[in-house]
Amino acid sequence: MSAEAETNDVEPGAAPESMLIISESSENLQNMSSSLDEIKKMQPDNQDENINNVDPDDYDDISCNTIATGDDYIKDNDWLGKSKHIFVLSSAGKPIYSRYGNEDKFASYFGVMQALVSFVQADNDSLKSIHVGNTKFVFLFKEPLILVSISKTGESVSQLTAQLNYVFNEIVSMLTLSRLSQIYQQRRNYDLRRLLAGVERLIDSLLDFSDSEPSFTLGAVKCLPLAASIRDTISSAIVQSCSKIKDLVFAILLANNNLITLVRMKKYYIHPADLHLIFNLVRASESLKSAESWTPLCLPRFDSGGFLYGHVSYLSEDCQACLLLLTVDREAFFTLSEAKQKIVEKLRRANCLEGINESLNVREETCAETGFPELRHYLYKCKSTAQFYQPGVGAPYMSDYGRLLTLYRRAHQRLHSTSRPLKLLYEKSSDEVLLAWDTKGFELYVVLEPSTDKSATIALIGKLLTWIKKQEDRLFHLNAPTF
Amino acid sequence: MNSRNEIELKNFFIFNSTYCIKEGEEQNKILFYFPPTEDLNTQINNVGLVEAIIKFTGNFKSQCDTRSLHTLKTRQLYYQPEKNFWMTMTLNLPFKVKSKEEVEQLDYMEDEIQDEVYNAVLKQAYDLYYLFFGSFSDGSGSDTILLKSKLMNHFSPYLKSIKLAHCDIMNIFNGIHFLPLNKQNFLNVQCFINLLECTYKFIKYTAVLFNDCLIWSSVEPPSMQTIYQYLTGILLPAQMETEIQGGSMPRNSPFTSTHFGRYVTGPSNLKSAESLGKIPKVHLNSEKSSGTYYMILYRALSATVCLFVAGEELNLSLFRDLDEFMGPKLTTIASDIAEYCAKHITPITNADNSPRFIYFNKLNLACKSTVHLDNRQSGNLATGKDTIKIMVDMDDQKSLIGLSGEIIVKTMNDCWVVGRFSNSREFYLAMQQKNASLIEINDEVKKVCDTELKGIFFHPM
Repeated sequence: MSAEAETNDVEPGAAPESMLIISESSENLQNMSSSLDEIKKMQPDNQDENINNVDPDDYDDISCNTIATGDDYIKDNDWLGKSKHIFVLSSAGKPIYSRYGNEDKFASYFGVMQALVSFVQADNDSLKSIHVGNTKFVFLFKEPLILVSISKTGESVSQLTAQLNYVFNEIVSMLTLSRLSQIYQQRRNYDLRRLLAGVERLIDSLLDFSDSEPSFTLGAVKCLPLAASIRDTISSAIVQSCSKIKDLVFAILLANNNLITLVRMKKYYIHPADLHLIFNLVRASESLKSAESWTPLCLPRFDSGGFLYGHVSYLSEDCQACLLLLTVDREAFFTLSEAKQKIVEKLRRANCLEGINESLNVREETCAETGFPELRHYLYKCKSTAQFYQPGVGAPYMSDYGRLLTLYRRAHQRLHSTSRPLKLLYEKSSDEVLLAWDTKGFELYVVLEPSTDKSATIALIGKLLTWIKKQEDRLFHLNAPTF
Repeated sequence: MNSRNEIELKNFFIFNSTYCIKEGEEQNKILFYFPPTEDLNTQINNVGLVEAIIKFTGNFKSQCDTRSLHTLKTRQLYYQPEKNFWMTMTLNLPFKVKSKEEVEQLDYMEDEIQDEVYNAVLKQAYDLYYLFFGSFSDGSGSDTILLKSKLMNHFSPYLKSIKLAHCDIMNIFNGIHFLPLNKQNFLNVQCFINLLECTYKFIKYTAVLFNDCLIWSSVEPPSMQTIYQYLTGILLPAQMETEIQGGSMPRNSPFTSTHFGRYVTGPSNLKSAESLGKIPKVHLNSEKSSGTYYMILYRALSATVCLFVAGEELNLSLFRDLDEFMGPKLTTIASDIAEYCAKHITPITNADNSPRFIYFNKLNLACKSTVHLDNRQSGNLATGKDTIKIMVDMDDQKSLIGLSGEIIVKTMNDCWVVGRFSNSREFYLAMQQKNASLIEINDEVKKVCDTELKGIFFHPM
């Protein structure tokens, strides 16, 4: 690509320091830090270590009498025809979650899935996927759970596995990994659904969210476009209001699944996968809008062994941005509630609420509106900050954004294939031209009119990168403020 | 443990679940199992797993029925050529030993095995069996002993002969290399065949090859594909080997002085022969009928004629007759063609860094490759294996592109691979050009298309 040399040093959106951990994708729970212990050790008077202790007697299993009432769904074409099923079961084969239908009604199915997994395991191997035509059956065994995805969406096995990992992490975020393992160590046959009341709703939301968003595929978050001055004012308002509060690890302000700002404790970073779970929590919980709430939350990538405590509230009636203050101190509700009031006052005085509202009310400009008529849509990910930007969706994808996402997912998979990764992918079909480009600093996925020729495509990409560079302080969060 | 670089065959089996009625008689459904040394319990368990998977996945109907199972260490492929008959092939994945913090870890390379390739290998294995033995269900009848022995006779040697590590996109295409000839030479062949078929009415179909390229065939394409694979992959290479060693060149035909013709299948020595020798019978399917035919192969110099003869009582004098008819004519034709080829066709070499291509036309099965330096799946390649794997990836995605389209990729080590699709034709090109731009690559593709694929229309890209 001839534009490579000229644009290599542009890297719009790059920043000296990132608030997010940079990662290619979010497939595994490896390298779990024990950040919580570290933070608590800095506070010798904080002796409250009770949070992960389970008293097994509290969770006595009395629900063994759930009897399968026939496998009704297996003959139900509607159910079978869903484009993506997700199942969660215990390693003993107990149903825990099904995306569609009541899992008790096809308990035998869970039995078969468990049997397949354990049969292959007996051979010192592990089951990864089954492919039948265009349907993929993907298995993820994460002690003590088995997660299964049955998908006709065309996503790759690694993308489906990543989504199952998210589901696993969602469960962990409600229980912590240590507690989850402990439960099953004590009682292999435990019916986890009793502990997961409400989590089902979160998983439903997570699946819809990740099916309809490029951020999960990219392993990045999108920021709410804001003038740099407004964003900086907001960040400093949070820093000032919270600077005296010990144990506050993260303050996150988001709106409409976009990040406004994130302030963090020095030395600690948040992983995009954890941030996606937080976005999902806010997205799935209407009740947060009515009152401030206090919720324990485990961030699996940050520390899967324990809880953070979150003060969650919307800024105000007239500004639908949600503020999360995450701390290790489980008694800090009132302190944080007070801090939140201070933040809102400061933001109101500085007219920041209006700024946020303005950005929320404006529909994102499409490519055509920004002066790129041949360009239909694009995704730009800045690797060093794990942030991405996409313009508003224009024709012909307004009613079929899913098709566009499928294109992007496929291109992403081709670029990041484990054994045959690519630097560049150009694909011309009867419907569109797609160009995907992976460089040191950024990834770019561009969809153009099918009639665009190659030299025009390249010229356009050069122009687009310059445009993004010009807009970078509005589109991206370039600072990484700390308390 | 050392790294394993090559794909290995773990097991291969054929079963029919309906052959086991009572519990405890599970071994009855196993019709063929490789390796035969595996104990019966393991065999039954492995078949059981496949049955479970087929049953489990069968509920979620899918449009096409290629199936595979991916595990950490293996890949298993399923093919159901006939109702209730399943063929299963399990491959061990290659792996590398990685040491991570002083702990040795095995890194299994899942993407090294591409389902499309090995599904095609399975299908080819069945097609070849069908060519010689007919369908599984024909062969079974009331008891399975006969079928089992046929399967044993065919698959045991066949499995040893397939070069799993060298299977690639060519297995998917299963195409035929045609010899590009000038009009005169082609008409000579055509006249020869017409005369032959008119003279000997019992010849139903004919095919003519020169070395491993097809010149003419009246066999239906699907059957010809399999015959072609058999001839070029198994029979002719072995034949050429004996010719090179000079062992069985016939010096005793009454016409030795004037021609070089002799039978490859049929009586090897016409003068002293007392019997016809072994003449294979093959099952051919055409739109009108399917039937079994004797396959008589006759060879002179580098030219091979295949005659397919139906039910006729073959006798020695007939063979003498045919030999007399074909020998001189085929010898002349073969030497003319050889002369033409020497002048006009440059052999593919590994000499330079020029762009390499593979072309396939699904409609006439024509295939051409300058990536493969021979036509024998020997792994003798002009590009890296990964390049061909990228082409397979593209082939796999072509359905998403629509009627015509193009894919261009640049790999991490700056190799460019281009795939073009138009009117059931596929064209792939690979070249190593570090500093090239997309536009330069485009020009290069155009150049190659202009010189190598004259007259073949691709939608303008």
